[in-house]
Amino acid sequence: MPAARANVLSVSGLTKTYGDVEAVRGVDFDVADGEVFGLVGPNGAGKTSTLKTLAGLLEPTSGDVVVNGYDVSDPEMRRTLGFLPEESPLYEDMTPRSYLRFFADLYDVDRETADERIASALDRLDLDVRDRPVGDFSKGMKRKVAIARSLVNDPEVLIYDEPASGLDPTTTNVVIEFTRDLAAQGKTIVFSAHDLHHVESVCDRVAIVADGRIAAKGTLAEIRADHGRVEYRVFTDVAVPDATEVEDGRYRTTVESMAGVDDVRERARAAGGDVVDIRTRESTLEDVFLAVTGGRE
Amino acid sequence: MSPRRTLRIARWEAARNAGTIDRRTAILLACTLVVLAVVAPLLALTAPTPGQGVYRVAVADSNPYHAPVAANGKLRAVPAGANAVDRGRADVAVVDGGFVVADSEKGRAALATLRSATEAYNDRLMSLESDVAAAFPVTVDVEYVERGARVGGGTSEGERAAGTTRTSGTGGDGASSTAPRGATSAESGGTPTGGAERATGTTGTAGSGARSAPSNTPGSLAPPFPLQSLLLAFAFLLPLNVVIQSYGSSVLDERIDRRGEPLLVSPASRADIVVGKALPYLAGAVLVTVPIAYAVGAGVVSILAVLPLAALFLGVTFLGALFARSYKELTFVTVTVTVVLMAYAFVPAVFTEVHPISAISPLSVVVRDIRGDPFRFGSFLLSTVPVGTAALVCYGLGLGVYREEDLFTQKRLPAKALDALAAPLSSVRRVALVTVAFVPFVLIAELFAVAALFVAPPSLGVPLVLALVATIEELAKSLHVRAGFANARFPRTDRTALAVGVASGIGFFLGEKLLLLTRLVGLPDLTVGGAAFGNAELGAGSLALLVAPLLLHVVTASASALGARRSKRGYALALTGAILLHLGYNYTVVTTLG
Repeated sequence: MPAARANVLSVSGLTKTYGDVEAVRGVDFDVADGEVFGLVGPNGAGKTSTLKTLAGLLEPTSGDVVVNGYDVSDPEMRRTLGFLPEESPLYEDMTPRSYLRFFADLYDVDRETADERIASALDRLDLDVRDRPVGDFSKGMKRKVAIARSLVNDPEVLIYDEPASGLDPTTTNVVIEFTRDLAAQGKTIVFSAHDLHHVESVCDRVAIVADGRIAAKGTLAEIRADHGRVEYRVFTDVAVPDATEVEDGRYRTTVESMAGVDDVRERARAAGGDVVDIRTRESTLEDVFLAVTGGRE
Repeated sequence: MSPRRTLRIARWEAARNAGTIDRRTAILLACTLVVLAVVAPLLALTAPTPGQGVYRVAVADSNPYHAPVAANGKLRAVPAGANAVDRGRADVAVVDGGFVVADSEKGRAALATLRSATEAYNDRLMSLESDVAAAFPVTVDVEYVERGARVGGGTSEGERAAGTTRTSGTGGDGASSTAPRGATSAESGGTPTGGAERATGTTGTAGSGARSAPSNTPGSLAPPFPLQSLLLAFAFLLPLNVVIQSYGSSVLDERIDRRGEPLLVSPASRADIVVGKALPYLAGAVLVTVPIAYAVGAGVVSILAVLPLAALFLGVTFLGALFARSYKELTFVTVTVTVVLMAYAFVPAVFTEVHPISAISPLSVVVRDIRGDPFRFGSFLLSTVPVGTAALVCYGLGLGVYREEDLFTQKRLPAKALDALAAPLSSVRRVALVTVAFVPFVLIAELFAVAALFVAPPSLGVPLVLALVATIEELAKSLHVRAGFANARFPRTDRTALAVGVASGIGFFLGEKLLLLTRLVGLPDLTVGGAAFGNAELGAGSLALLVAPLLLHVVTASASALGARRSKRGYALALTGAILLHLGYNYTVVTTLG
């Protein structure tokens, strides 16, 4: 049995209010070393507020956030963290190289190491234009520069807020693949996304956030087990009550348990037929998300 | 704060700024600097003088009065002739050792100017004499009086000077009296020559020797308007407008599209970022100021006087850029900053060397420096300390809201201002500290009010100043308290309101002692100055006088706080009550204690 990995990020009882608005209400979760943790939820659920609090951008109203052993209010914590906000706010007049070097300086990274990291990140992100002002760049290119910025200090923990938001499919794939690579390198990543497919494909564990609270949390299998359901589509060669005719001589009945399947079989036999096919369908994360959040986007 | 990171951010800001200035703007800036560099020295040599040659004096070239007329800029010699005045060719004619004066205000003013020009000319001649005792003999009148009796009839410095000290002219023109500095010849009562006067029309005014006690309004002054020096001093302020435009845009640029967010999440502290971004502009202000100082003949003192003003320009622009929601609003802010601060600096400086009110402006230090006048430490402090401290307070307030949840919100300007005021209020003690921090602004506002109103007759000026002072001080004690309640920084209870009110009142009482700075230049001696700043001096005499202002500030601040904890309307009502109470107190102090 592999040894349990230590938590590098721990959130307990986190609340964040803006005036009278409670954006985050008592959120708790831990992220282990090298884990990719996903936050999903509808707009306004509190994902971005949670991530910004983890990054030290927002002061928690109450609760504790510890990252790499540092309290989130400790300036030293920032050295160990890479943050990618939802937008890619860059200084348009700067070139990627000068921009990234500037941030490397702020993180006390020496010039040689900084240049190596910058070149490596931009190579992996497939961005070969490095000495033109960022203002000339497409949204996808800007996103790549912003991702490279989050890596100049070689952080142990990465907090990415919607890294592929608003990008074209090709760039989205590059970004998602890059995130997978980072995970493979052992980086701890907390990741939010609207596209649940990305979350499913990248994250080890997921928290579904709704109304500032965590509505569901765990591995995808655990969440499906707790909040999802399994459907059995039972096809019979005779009509039985509640069945829908799907093609000539074949009828479909949907049930949610094996007992239900047995019941359909008995009724089909009583009608002089039998069950000819059974298909199982498990809930996707999207189904669970819709069930947990009540269908809010 | 990390100096290394601060300097790195400063270097980055400077490089970015240089990179964002397009060629056309760079050329425009360079041209502006060249024009300033060329115009300033020319101004120093050839600046227009108001009233140049305004009075025409008909005097023959051979007449002894011709030389004084030629030496005075306001006088212009025209061909002599007894009928020159009647024909309208002259305002004064020198005829047979006497004068013919036009029956008009201008004629009388021309005669007064001729007298003072003659005195000045005579003094200059006397000063060339090797035997100073002979040139300026001193006559002492000894008068024995009973102990306690008043000596002489004079009640003012001017009268004492005129009444007890006389100099005798030796230029053959007869005796002339010296006047106190800044007084007109009419006040001195001397005659320029010993000759008889023959005047047409209202000759009674000529040489009447009528003296009036100096009053505190410019109406009684004939200031040597320092236009040339003032224009030169103004050259220091003009480039600051370019600097603040650029600075304001840079700060706002951080807020547009959340551009500054990555900096906030970096190891650089808020102070690193704010100071780092401001340094290049402060350095820019110095770089622009030094050559201008060199060009206009000013020295280090001028640069030191202008720097706090430059810092305040930057500080207020910084706050404005944090509050503005768009470049349009930023333009409104920077224009307001420019107009208000330039008015604050320029208007009092008009009275440099004439009136103590000028001491509030850093430009008056520059004007005196350019004129080669002796350095006055008290004036220097008064003109620079409030301005410099106010700049620091602006940055302090701005730092409080230079964070994610305030920097990128799109609230209206007043709401953002309240956020900035509320940000430092983490405890009751902080309320007192913020109140103390407001005192430089109070000082600036009150000085400005005095500067604006000292020209008004005391019957109007004093009540207006009293009302303005009460309003300014009550706002300073309560605005942040209201912001604190509006931003839920304190529990909305009467007990808390009383606690923060008392803290604010005590804070103001202690901070108010800063107003004693005005004593350094004798500002409270002015009628309106006494009304504005007399309160700060109370307490020197007795315990009751010490406790009275403390009680006033505590009571009014507590009343405002009680209103502020309820609602905006409650605050407005309570504040009005506090202002009225304060006004009543001030009025009582002024009328009973003088």
